[in-house]
Amino acid sequence: MKALIIDDSRAMRSILRRILGDAGFETHEAEDGQVALDLMNGGLEPDVCLIDWNMPVMDGYTFVTQVRHNQDWRDVTLMMVTTESDSNRIVRALAAGAHEYVIKPFTPDAILDKLQLLGLFTEVPA
Amino acid sequence: MTVEAPELWDVLSIAGEVWTSFIGPDEPLVPAGEEAFPVAWSGAVSVTGDWSGMVVVEMPEHCAVAATSRMLMIDEPSQADVSDAVGELVNMVGGNVKCLLFGENSLSLPVVALGRVTPPGDAVEVCRADLQWSEGPLRITVHSVAQSGVTS
Repeated sequence: MKALIIDDSRAMRSILRRILGDAGFETHEAEDGQVALDLMNGGLEPDVCLIDWNMPVMDGYTFVTQVRHNQDWRDVTLMMVTTESDSNRIVRALAAGAHEYVIKPFTPDAILDKLQLLGLFTEVPA
Repeated sequence: MTVEAPELWDVLSIAGEVWTSFIGPDEPLVPAGEEAFPVAWSGAVSVTGDWSGMVVVEMPEHCAVAATSRMLMIDEPSQADVSDAVGELVNMVGGNVKCLLFGENSLSLPVVALGRVTPPGDAVEVCRADLQWSEGPLRITVHSVAQSGVTS
């Protein structure tokens, strides 16, 4: 499974990279929505994108709408990971095509539970 | 639930959740008495809209470095690492404060400074949380401003 982490914070990308890497994902990173689109236009085919909302250049909401307008990317799962917890923002993101919404701060389990719900991760019993 | 302005309890609750999630469940952030410390790192985010203001996090050097080290799980964080971690911490605190507020509001990208971030001259401090964790003190302040802006 390939995950594309889109966040302008290197710290947050590092945290998510660790969580996803430990879960067996191959991770890729972008510091804003435009860089993420460039990576995907360049051939990267992520199974899931984890997307911050507030970023310079291109925000996460715009990225979601751009991805959903391209039929080639219809199978890409989109998960917002953001401090934006206003209900109207959550509704907007889901209506635009995001599959899941995680509010910061989160725990690793919260991320993995969502990925499990989306069928992208299966926890191996200890 | 929405509020007219954030209160101390709100800030303590949000900061505690951020700390537990990203610094570690065994590193509680507890209220402390007002203690003077040399502010080496500050992070600020502005809220604009029906309520305008700023949320500022201030830490001494060793505290910022230790928080970064725990957050990123690295032994010797660079200055860029610390800057980024402080920015993300204030982003999470500020974002969650914003979501408590009544009305439509937007959050700025974080600003991080070596030293203090100076609120605008017309800023009014509405809430201050002096906190302590195992590595030292930190302070979170919320300012109400007529027109949002941050200078460093």
